[in-house]
Amino acid sequence: MKNNLFSSYKTDVFFDEMFGRDGTEALDHYHAIFNRLKTLEPNQIEEKQKQADSSFLEHGVTFTVYGDDEGTERIFPFDLIPRVIPDKEWQRVEQGLRQRILALNLFLNDVYHDGKIMAEGVVPEEVVKSSAHYRKEMVGFDVPRDIFVHICGTDLIRDETGKYLVLEDNARCPSGASYLLENREIMKKTFPGTYQGMAVRSVEAYPELLLRSLEFISPRQSQKPVCVLLTPGVYNSAYFEHTFLARQMGIEIVEGKDLIAIDGFVYMRTTHGLVQVDVIYRRLDDAYLDPLFFDKDSMLGVSGLMDAYLKGNVALANGIGTGVVDDKVTYAYVPEMIRFYLGQDPILEQVPTYLCWKDQDRDFVLDNLSDLVVKSANESGGYGMLVGNASTKKEREDFAQMIKASPRDYIAQPIISLSRHPTFCKGGIEGRHIDLRPFILYGEDIEIVPGGLTRVALKKGSLVVNSSQGGGSKDTWVLKE
Amino acid sequence: MLSRVADNLYWMNRFVERAEGVTRLVEVKRDTNLEAGVKEDNRDYWRSALQAMCATEGTEDEDLNDPESFILFSKRWPSSVINCINQARENARMVRDQLSEEIWVELNNLYLFLNSSGAQEAYGQDSSNFFRRVIRFSLVFQGLSDATIHQDEGWLFMSLGKYLERADQTSRALDTLTLLGSEPSRLDLIGVLRICSARSAYRKRYRGDLNLRNVADFLLFSQDFPRSVRFAIRRIDSNLHEISGVPAGNFSNEAERLTGSALAQFNFSGMDAMLETGLHASIDQLQKKLIEVGQSIFETYVLLPFEIKNASVPPIVQSQMQQQ
Repeated sequence: MKNNLFSSYKTDVFFDEMFGRDGTEALDHYHAIFNRLKTLEPNQIEEKQKQADSSFLEHGVTFTVYGDDEGTERIFPFDLIPRVIPDKEWQRVEQGLRQRILALNLFLNDVYHDGKIMAEGVVPEEVVKSSAHYRKEMVGFDVPRDIFVHICGTDLIRDETGKYLVLEDNARCPSGASYLLENREIMKKTFPGTYQGMAVRSVEAYPELLLRSLEFISPRQSQKPVCVLLTPGVYNSAYFEHTFLARQMGIEIVEGKDLIAIDGFVYMRTTHGLVQVDVIYRRLDDAYLDPLFFDKDSMLGVSGLMDAYLKGNVALANGIGTGVVDDKVTYAYVPEMIRFYLGQDPILEQVPTYLCWKDQDRDFVLDNLSDLVVKSANESGGYGMLVGNASTKKEREDFAQMIKASPRDYIAQPIISLSRHPTFCKGGIEGRHIDLRPFILYGEDIEIVPGGLTRVALKKGSLVVNSSQGGGSKDTWVLKE
Repeated sequence: MLSRVADNLYWMNRFVERAEGVTRLVEVKRDTNLEAGVKEDNRDYWRSALQAMCATEGTEDEDLNDPESFILFSKRWPSSVINCINQARENARMVRDQLSEEIWVELNNLYLFLNSSGAQEAYGQDSSNFFRRVIRFSLVFQGLSDATIHQDEGWLFMSLGKYLERADQTSRALDTLTLLGSEPSRLDLIGVLRICSARSAYRKRYRGDLNLRNVADFLLFSQDFPRSVRFAIRRIDSNLHEISGVPAGNFSNEAERLTGSALAQFNFSGMDAMLETGLHASIDQLQKKLIEVGQSIFETYVLLPFEIKNASVPPIVQSQMQQQ
């Protein structure tokens, strides 16, 4: 570490993706990019960063920040130093993710049919049925091809020893795939030589694989299925992603008002009349999909959509009611599900979780608030969360109150020292905490594009990587053998 | 294609064309004022322009203190240049999958510029450069629309938006001459030709013969000048028939019927008939007809038959219609 950019770099007490634990030399799989970065002067990398940022802004690669009058669009901050994952390491992760999505789907099918896992006492019935996203309307309904979760974003972290752990599953409408694809485009322009030299596995097939898994569930197989992407609209924070994916797949992006349900079928309104829709890739939560069925005030959905769905005339991806597995209480039982349905040991471990609805766990949590992360079971985006060692006494007291008032809604986990990654910050390169969100597609086969979206907490010391909380992203390079 | 997408494309182009027209008007008006040495009664001089653009209603007196900034940057007047570009971009954002990357980047760049703190400053420092930037954008936008996307149904709706707006803008530019309150001067006539980018085309056609009748004749009836009203209506007519597949000279919907009859009027009558009715009154009738054409396009291609009488128009679309 003799060069300028890295000369004052410290790994501290964390696992560092580039240097490992207490390392002073870049790990083998980082060599090429490390050497390339070493040749750069600070102002050169700053210049490259500026170019990347303005390119994102120009191309409208933005997300919308809520709680602002004008609905400000911001770019999702992007860091130019890529995260690199060697082939062997990735293969293990990939196997773990495949195993996990199989178990989650078997679980959902079971929950909405026979409920064996509950009958046998592996997962308490109470936990499942009290989940905020459990949909009793789905009981007994056979989803197309028996697949509930077609697109899953499972968040992974690495602890202080570098071990991969599952942090949570996003089985409703996970976002981020568009950034994964756009980040790659920028990186190919920024470090073309290094990219080529390192034999990085390509991610460009994602839209095609996604479309294939959508077409797989079409109720009409006799003709090319009509798939559409249903967006809440231009003011949604992920709107860019919606248009991006629709364009990449070559399908229509529709809003609720573009669709109309008549006599159990769903049609889109075109300039030449109504056209029947087979598959809806919906980027809209269950609750907003159909005002006749769920939230009556929803202006975003389509009246009669659920009727058509339950008659099997239109398929939805993801299915209805998948939110049960996003619930952080259900999450705690996933290793048990894997054993129960697949008879296997989980390949990927997960973070130990205290369930506040259990008396014993709750007492422990309340006594140790400052050493734990407390999470609301059904919030996402980094909201409703208490990081014990970074909290004030008042915050801890507030959470203690909330936990006592509704124990089912809270879980706690030990504070994990997420791995860090060299990241370009003002004034040089510093370590920042990261996680990884791979996207798992479940259609005729299970497909996972290599890597995923690496999210980085840009605030010094922060453990929260969500874009709504000041997080950014990096490109993820999975290397060929 | 999706009805909403057709509607968004149509409006995107209308707003771009409108931004260009309004900018040209400010640019020329400003030059004309300089030349005429207008100082004190600046306000009256701008009034005809604002009136022609229907901007007088809801306009407060203070807006007239700085009419140029009002027309360019007002947030309250829906057809100010900044509002046109913002709305064009909003429509574009809803149909990004239909546009080429180049089109999006051009439009987004102008949007980012106009909404940045540097925009008013740039205007203050070098207004003619500012005008050029907006006008050049519109021309690049049109070029890219012809060169980088499929000329399919979506493109036809874009073209419809462009020519409907252009017919409207040209007629409004001409109307400023009838609203002056006095005989238009030579400078006024040249000004209107410049707003329509028609100065050299006019010169070629009429040599030095500059008078109101000829200017009106040229801007309304020219066979082949791309900013004349007749030219625009002919394009609207052929676009509509390409969309429906119905041969020209017939009609399958109200928009086609109205456009066909307007075209016949332009093909088979002339200035004498116009002057008999009065130029201002004729322009008024024309603009009403254009609004009806726009409305019937909407009813034919965006609404479902049972929605037309119900007024259950989706909210976003409604707000755009009101801005016609």
